[in-house]
Amino acid sequence: MKRPKPQLPGAANRTILKRTFVLMGLFGVAVFIPLVARLISLQVFQYDTLSQLAADNQTRSSSITPARGTIYDRNMNVLAVSADVENVCIDPNELGLSGQDLDAIAAKLGDILSVDRQRIRKLMEDTSYRYQIVKRKVEQQEALAVRQYIAEEAITGVYLEPDTKRYYPCGTLCAQVLGFVGSDNTGLDGVEAACDSILTGQKGSVITAKGNYGSQMQFHYEDYADALSGNDVVLTIDATVQEMLEKHMQEAIVQYDVQNGAFGVVMDVNSGEILAMATLGSFDPNNYAEIGDAEEAQRLEELYQQAMEAGGEEREALLEEYNSQVANARLGQWRNRVISDGYEPGSTFKSITLASALEEGAVTLSDTFSCSGSTSVKGRTKALHCWKTAGHGSQTTAQALQNSCNVAFANIGIRLTGEKLYEYVHKFGLTERTGIELGGEASGIFFDKATLTNPDSYASLTSAAFGQTFKITPLQLVRAISAVVNGGSLLEPHIVKEVLAPDGTVLQETERTLIRQVISQETSDTMCNLLESVVSEGTAKNARIAGYRIGGKTGTSEKIDVFDADGNPVEDKIVSFVGIAPMDDPQYIVLVALDTPSRETGYYISGGQMGAPTVRDVLADLLPYMGILPEYSDEEGALADVTMPDVVGLSTGEAKKLLQEAGLTYRFIGTGETVLSQIPAADAVIPGSSQVLLYLEPVEDTATVVVPDVVGKDIETANSLLSQAGLYMKLIGAAGQTEAISAVSQSPAAGETVEIGTVVEVEFSDLSARD
Amino acid sequence: MERARLRDVEKTTELPDLPMLILSLLLTALGAVMIYSASFARALYETGDGGYFFKRELVFSLLGILVMLLVSRVRAELLRKLAFPILGVAIVCLVLVFVPGIGQSENGATRWIRLGISFQPSEIAKLGVILSFAALITRFDTKMETFRWGIAPFVAILGIIVVLLRLEPHNSAIVIIVCTAGAMLFLGGVRYRWFVLGGAVMLIGIVLILGAGGYEVSRITAWRDPFSDPTDDGYQIIQSLYAIGSGGVLGLGFGQGRQKYLYLPEEHNDYIFSIVCEELGLVGAVAILILYMLLILRGYWISMHLKDRFLSLTVAGITTLTALQVFFNIGVVTNLLPSTGISLPFFSYGGTALMIQLGEMGIILGASRKCSAGFL
Repeated sequence: MKRPKPQLPGAANRTILKRTFVLMGLFGVAVFIPLVARLISLQVFQYDTLSQLAADNQTRSSSITPARGTIYDRNMNVLAVSADVENVCIDPNELGLSGQDLDAIAAKLGDILSVDRQRIRKLMEDTSYRYQIVKRKVEQQEALAVRQYIAEEAITGVYLEPDTKRYYPCGTLCAQVLGFVGSDNTGLDGVEAACDSILTGQKGSVITAKGNYGSQMQFHYEDYADALSGNDVVLTIDATVQEMLEKHMQEAIVQYDVQNGAFGVVMDVNSGEILAMATLGSFDPNNYAEIGDAEEAQRLEELYQQAMEAGGEEREALLEEYNSQVANARLGQWRNRVISDGYEPGSTFKSITLASALEEGAVTLSDTFSCSGSTSVKGRTKALHCWKTAGHGSQTTAQALQNSCNVAFANIGIRLTGEKLYEYVHKFGLTERTGIELGGEASGIFFDKATLTNPDSYASLTSAAFGQTFKITPLQLVRAISAVVNGGSLLEPHIVKEVLAPDGTVLQETERTLIRQVISQETSDTMCNLLESVVSEGTAKNARIAGYRIGGKTGTSEKIDVFDADGNPVEDKIVSFVGIAPMDDPQYIVLVALDTPSRETGYYISGGQMGAPTVRDVLADLLPYMGILPEYSDEEGALADVTMPDVVGLSTGEAKKLLQEAGLTYRFIGTGETVLSQIPAADAVIPGSSQVLLYLEPVEDTATVVVPDVVGKDIETANSLLSQAGLYMKLIGAAGQTEAISAVSQSPAAGETVEIGTVVEVEFSDLSARD
Repeated sequence: MERARLRDVEKTTELPDLPMLILSLLLTALGAVMIYSASFARALYETGDGGYFFKRELVFSLLGILVMLLVSRVRAELLRKLAFPILGVAIVCLVLVFVPGIGQSENGATRWIRLGISFQPSEIAKLGVILSFAALITRFDTKMETFRWGIAPFVAILGIIVVLLRLEPHNSAIVIIVCTAGAMLFLGGVRYRWFVLGGAVMLIGIVLILGAGGYEVSRITAWRDPFSDPTDDGYQIIQSLYAIGSGGVLGLGFGQGRQKYLYLPEEHNDYIFSIVCEELGLVGAVAILILYMLLILRGYWISMHLKDRFLSLTVAGITTLTALQVFFNIGVVTNLLPSTGISLPFFSYGGTALMIQLGEMGIILGASRKCSAGFL
């Protein structure tokens, strides 16, 4: 090692001095540079980010649920509305640190809210959570009790937060269309789901500064961001019309013992607006998880009980079965069959085939078609049978439609050709979604072009021509037939009429949307006449309403793809009727389909027997409600309902005059100059031309009679039976004096004792309408 | 005995350095005030009295000032004589830490002795190293350039202390003591190549410690990306950054900080500077840094003007120690450096640490009576 250099005295001191300077520079100046630089970076350049993060860190934000928009029908009747409720929640972290008697709090909350206290106690256990909901959507009274408890006992860590709950004031009415919302206020089905973004609004928030562990801060900070209420949706649905539709569908379900529910729709043919849309059996959106069908609910409950009584593996298996059945039942009742399910349209589709054939000139009104009950078709293994095995004989084009003759329509299909039928099916929008503002719409299943145009086989073409072996949705059918009768315009159907801001301002208005012109006005006019003749002369006589011009087409469809346990096709049928009115200027179209009417009721299972009367009843309510007044033909006019004038106290001459004006006949009883009493009483509605009784002498007690049984009688016989008994008959349904038309029901029923002059409603049906 | 003590404690007419005195008092006062603000929420939460920590700190501050004034009158000779006893006491205490009942563990580290009063032996060790090194360097004088005199004895002393601190473990104290010792050896005239070697040894040590995969690794990870584990390893540093960042240029105002509401752990101890930054902003933080800077520059200035080599080295050592503590503490709270527990002189809560700090300032003040530094 090198010897150290000799050092001068004080050299060490000089070294210290020099080196102290170095340290001074290093520790007195240099080390501060990165520190200051870092502070500038954090406090100036990262200020925005860090202060925001700090604010998030120090504040507790709770969201305010915005008021969900209301759903109205077209007349501003409320269909769905939200009300304020509260969620009861706890902060397990805060509770855990607070040292309060958690058992007591859990017990008290459990009592107030009817929640299992053990469950609440369990929620309190995991203190890593800051937020747990004890009970959702608590109504005002319970919330108040919780609030009082918190205040009186100075409880910390239990909170109430505002929430909203959805109410459906009309209950089951229009359920599948409206849908429902989940517990998080998100629309899960129907309009609630489809218009969710419109209805939801924007969440608001309350931001409160809180020390860690919920400790109080000296510093006070609260910020509110108001929730923005959702917008309101006005539907094209008319609740009254919806009620009419559902009521008559329900009556039909009972009358014909319909096994698998029903679906129906009422649409404005000129605007595409849906006035009513229903699927039965329905459910109550207020309790959407409950099974709406009482029988089904009962059956499931029994299955559950059975499971509970069983033990071990059997119980597991039964519970699993129960759960899957409940799930299926729910999905079933929530399903809007009008848009989501395809079905075989059956003969109702003949109107489309015929409209296409007329438009193309493939057939004319003067063509004739002969039907011997069956015919052979190229490529078809079995002979094609008409529903009337005896055959329809020689028919005009109009008669073919009136008779709903399959043989004739097979020929019309062949004349039209597969290419053209295929083209028109597309033009009528039967292979595309209609575009209605609802989710879950199906698009229909139709033949591919090759099958339909196969020159070696007309099998598919002919069955397609009369509406079998393919599926479309009820809405697609209704829209297509609307185009047939409205001058040929295929429209986009709408269910949302307007969107309103919370202050009522119209934000969005749905306009009539023309998709394409399918047939000419001329063809459409012709089709209107033909469809009207189906009601006046064809298979749909039961749809007749005196004073109105009704058109329509019956349909009886097979379930082509439903098989029983043995793999054989089921014989279940869907019977339907599409009715249009008034035929001089078509405005409304009504489709009702009944899925699987029972064979036990005595009615022949057909659209004409079951669908037509149901649609007739809907139209009979709908048309006057819509302000369309009946116009009676002379023949009908004689039978049209009249209101009995008050002639009591009048002279015989005056009474005669009044009754003649009203179109009533009369019989004086006794002698005298003044009418002392009358039967029926004033304002009673009785059929025109009925004979009324005018008493010119005092009568003791009002006489009563027993209602005779007229079911199975033709119109004339029924009328005379009732008149003889001193009763009046009000005719409903098919009119005309043929053997086929006879009474199917009467009200009051036979055997009841009623006052003389009571009006008995008798429904006549054309029993020959087997399609 | 009485006479001896009177002899040791001078009755001098020479005044201590006034800027140094003012800076020390100013920083002590600011520290106490900041403790009031920073500890308020925790004191309220833990004891129900928002002023709890402040009151205690105030008592220690006053006691510390008394100690400072007393120490400033201690003769240099006594100080020199006490150098090795203090070092001895420090080493004994560092061993006692491991005696159950005396030492106390916190978070897996045993750094505190609690015997009526509680203190960290490492604080005494810092002083012991400074005084003993100053004494030895003065004695060895020019022989400091040799290995035998300039390196071996110093490394031996440091070795014992580092090993004991490593056992606690207390890495931050090791870094501070080694750096301070290095600075003193540097002043003592040790050749530069030894620093290169020493640096290399420290580097290897760091690599070995990290390689062992102890808690140090997670500290490094949290330093590189605190947001990778925001609720655990990164929590404290993130909360500190929130505090500093939200202070902005002008701060939220004294007492208006929010992070002290139990969000930021150690808010009145190691992380008090974060609260300073939050409440007083960049302006206040830089002002306090300037006070530290002036204190440090003044310390070296005094050191340079002292004729007594022992005192000169002691003053430079204490100044360096203070500077290192400031640098490491603020480096840590701003996440410039990996997290480690170093307190901020004058500001961090802790009675004994403050008293030792003020005692050290007393040494500088006492030494300054002997110099003619004058005002800068």
